[in-house]
Amino acid sequence: MAAIDSVRAQTRQESLFLLVPGVLVLLIAFLFPVGTILITSVVDWTEDGVFVLTTSHFEKFFVDDYYLKVAWRTLRLALVITLATAIFGVPLAYIMQRAHPTLRFIILLMVILPLMTSVVIRTFGWLVVLGNGGLLATLVAPLGFTGRSAVLMHTEAGIVIAMVQVLLPFMVLTVLGVLQGIGRELEEAGRTMGAGFWQVLRVIVLPLAVPGIVSGSLIVFALSLSSFITPSLVGGVRLPVMAGSIYQSIGGSFDWPFAAAQSVLLLAATLLLIIPYARLVRTSQ
Amino acid sequence: MLNRRHFLRNTTLAVSALAAPSILRAQNNKLVINSFGGAYEEIHRRLVITPFEEMTGIKVEVVTAYSADTLSQLRAQQEAPQFDVAHFSGGLETTAALEGLLSPIEPSELRNHDQMYEFAVSGISKGVGPTYSTAVIGLLYETNQINPIPTSWNDLLREGIGEHVLVTDAASNTYGLLSLLMMNHSLGGTMDDLTPGFEFVSKLLENGAVVVSKSPEIQQNFAQGSSWMAAYAQDYAYTLTKAGLPVRFVQPQEGAAFAPITVNLVANRPNREMALKFIDLSIRAEASEGWAEALRYSPTNRTVTLSGEVAEQVVYGEEAARNLVGFDPVVISDKRADWNEEWKRLLVR
Amino acid sequence: MTGLAPPASAHLMAGALVIFTAFVMLVPLGVVIASSFSESQFLVFPPQGFSFRWYREILSSEAYLSAAWTSLKIAVIVTTFSVLVGTPTAIALAKSDTPGRATLSGLFLSPLVLPTLIFGIGLLMTMSIWLGGASIWGLIVGHLVICVPYVIRTVSAVLSRADPLLEEAARTMGANVWKKYLHVVLPQCRTGMAAGAFFAFNISFDDAVIALFVRAPGVETLPIRIYGQLEFSPDPSVAAVSTLMILVSLALVLLVDQAIGLDRMT
Repeated sequence: MAAIDSVRAQTRQESLFLLVPGVLVLLIAFLFPVGTILITSVVDWTEDGVFVLTTSHFEKFFVDDYYLKVAWRTLRLALVITLATAIFGVPLAYIMQRAHPTLRFIILLMVILPLMTSVVIRTFGWLVVLGNGGLLATLVAPLGFTGRSAVLMHTEAGIVIAMVQVLLPFMVLTVLGVLQGIGRELEEAGRTMGAGFWQVLRVIVLPLAVPGIVSGSLIVFALSLSSFITPSLVGGVRLPVMAGSIYQSIGGSFDWPFAAAQSVLLLAATLLLIIPYARLVRTSQ
Repeated sequence: MLNRRHFLRNTTLAVSALAAPSILRAQNNKLVINSFGGAYEEIHRRLVITPFEEMTGIKVEVVTAYSADTLSQLRAQQEAPQFDVAHFSGGLETTAALEGLLSPIEPSELRNHDQMYEFAVSGISKGVGPTYSTAVIGLLYETNQINPIPTSWNDLLREGIGEHVLVTDAASNTYGLLSLLMMNHSLGGTMDDLTPGFEFVSKLLENGAVVVSKSPEIQQNFAQGSSWMAAYAQDYAYTLTKAGLPVRFVQPQEGAAFAPITVNLVANRPNREMALKFIDLSIRAEASEGWAEALRYSPTNRTVTLSGEVAEQVVYGEEAARNLVGFDPVVISDKRADWNEEWKRLLVR
Repeated sequence: MTGLAPPASAHLMAGALVIFTAFVMLVPLGVVIASSFSESQFLVFPPQGFSFRWYREILSSEAYLSAAWTSLKIAVIVTTFSVLVGTPTAIALAKSDTPGRATLSGLFLSPLVLPTLIFGIGLLMTMSIWLGGASIWGLIVGHLVICVPYVIRTVSAVLSRADPLLEEAARTMGANVWKKYLHVVLPQCRTGMAAGAFFAFNISFDDAVIALFVRAPGVETLPIRIYGQLEFSPDPSVAAVSTLMILVSLALVLLVDQAIGLDRMT
């Protein structure tokens, strides 16, 4: 027994040792900066360099219609983006599961490539596609859509399309992971028992894929809440979202405490989603 | 003893280098400045930076940073700034000077001081400027679509062009702000009350005007033929003309605003002499002339001589310079935050 | 088995969906690539003419080259540190007797889902308040936070498939701790480390969000250069740089696939 105990103690020691660099990075680069934001959001500096606790930066957000409007747009867009990725991502994951490996690889590649491309490049592409006289406007012009109606630049629809492109892989890969765990046997059993293809999809596959859909949705939702470059470049100045408003507070009005307060709110909203997500993933494991 | 002194000096050097990297940099015979990137930066190099390097043998490190970025960096590095010389366009230098980030300059410290227009050097004792060239804000119009030629700011409301008018974001773009102030001014508004200006913009928006925040968007809109009229800068009109677009600039009868482009001495830096030499070189007639020829910025040096097309496409000569409307940068920097808030609310959908 | 095949309508819909997705996913990248060969000075669509002039332009532009060099340097440093930090973490998390494993793993992976923006702002504030301003090291640290989780993930993915008996055997055979890691554990991690490194490189090389906040004077990365060009003077040279960057990403994605298989990255 003693021997086993000592071995166990040794591996424990090893583990702790192995964790040191990771924990250091987490502390220095993650917890410390986030802590700084938290502190900045609740203090006020007085003239003589003393600081006092305050909730005024948060109040500024909540008493103002403008910021509530921005927050509401952010939430609404995140919801629509999540729905859209689910509508496209779930069937796509299913197709991938059933497809020939080559086709599957091709779909995988095309879904992942945009994610792995710099956000500035992707957005730049959308500017060319959605903009005035861009690809889309050129394509629909013969159908009689001309002028403003053909331009998705500076519209919420444009933001949603551009965001779906980035976030779809998160949905597809999460759902695909779950589908692969299910395997094809149940489905085949259903079919041999006489159920139609669509019926099997609805009664067997979809319910089993729910955990994947839920966790995929949570990731997508969380990521779209904080997305910033795409909405501000595609949406323009008249459709501000929270992340853009934070950037504006930092670089435009130089109101860092207010930027910190908005960041805390954004972080809180994300955590509200992520924590159940983490639970979900853990129980499913 | 020699050894010990040596040792001491080296240690002090090492410690001070650790404590303030800027000191180390100063001793490297290097001047750190910002410029605005792209074509601007290339011309900047040709007109000022390279001549300076050749004249003094000092290396200039150019950081591409626009005005707002430069200001936030100066703020962040207040104690030990990395810039020696900061260039600003559109009023932020006043903010920086008020915060003590820029250093005042005596007229006697600049050899070219007396050649400048009064407005170009009026702020140097407070740390603002000098202004080495200036942009002029008026109306850009598409020559095929707009007839007759616009003469007034009110022409933005002309019948039938509503959707083809561009409004530039006043919160993030200085030219946009100056346009707003000019509209306000033309309707009899003052700096204390921007209501006429805001109402005017609100009418433009109702008519379907498109709001853009960056100059390339203006270019794109004119290039695609979807925009016919915009309030913006004369130099930018030239960029569009040069690129083959049927776009011209006009100075409306109510006046056009000027947006100074300044070269500023950063405070708390050890190499003042060197930086002053750079600034002096920036305001000499040749440089001012070069800016007008290359990019159509109006000269601020009185001794500049221009001719032909260039003279027509900038504001040139004492007479013309008098028609420019200047807005007090101190008031602007004072009120800008409030204006921005109101502007944001005007735009948000 | 033909009776069990999906109906024709399903095939049709699947085809339509795949084509539509391909359109949405790839067209924006496609137009960037197409625009890069344009002759005209503007970014208009369809591109006019065909030329390599913008490639010549960027390859002789000091600003682009130095930005590329900066990005490359940062990415290499970040990749190295990410692997050095991420690999041991993943190994520790793979051990069943590591205390608080689930919580730790959640914490380590959280930068994947938390807003990158927050790290950017946090680092900016931290460095301005305590360290006297932004520096290239701040940017590296910022990238490290978002890159390490990828290494942890890829290494964990291969370790979950690895044979725990090997390590057990090594131990009973009396291999000492160092030898065990060098000859048994690390070789098992190799493919995961490689995949993680490719991801880390790609993420650091492409990042614009952290770089936008934590930007020190004189430190201009390629994405920031592109962002600046987009804001102030977009011409097809931006498209040319972007095309090259897309190719880099594509190569890295294929390398990840070679190392561990793309579909393991869920």
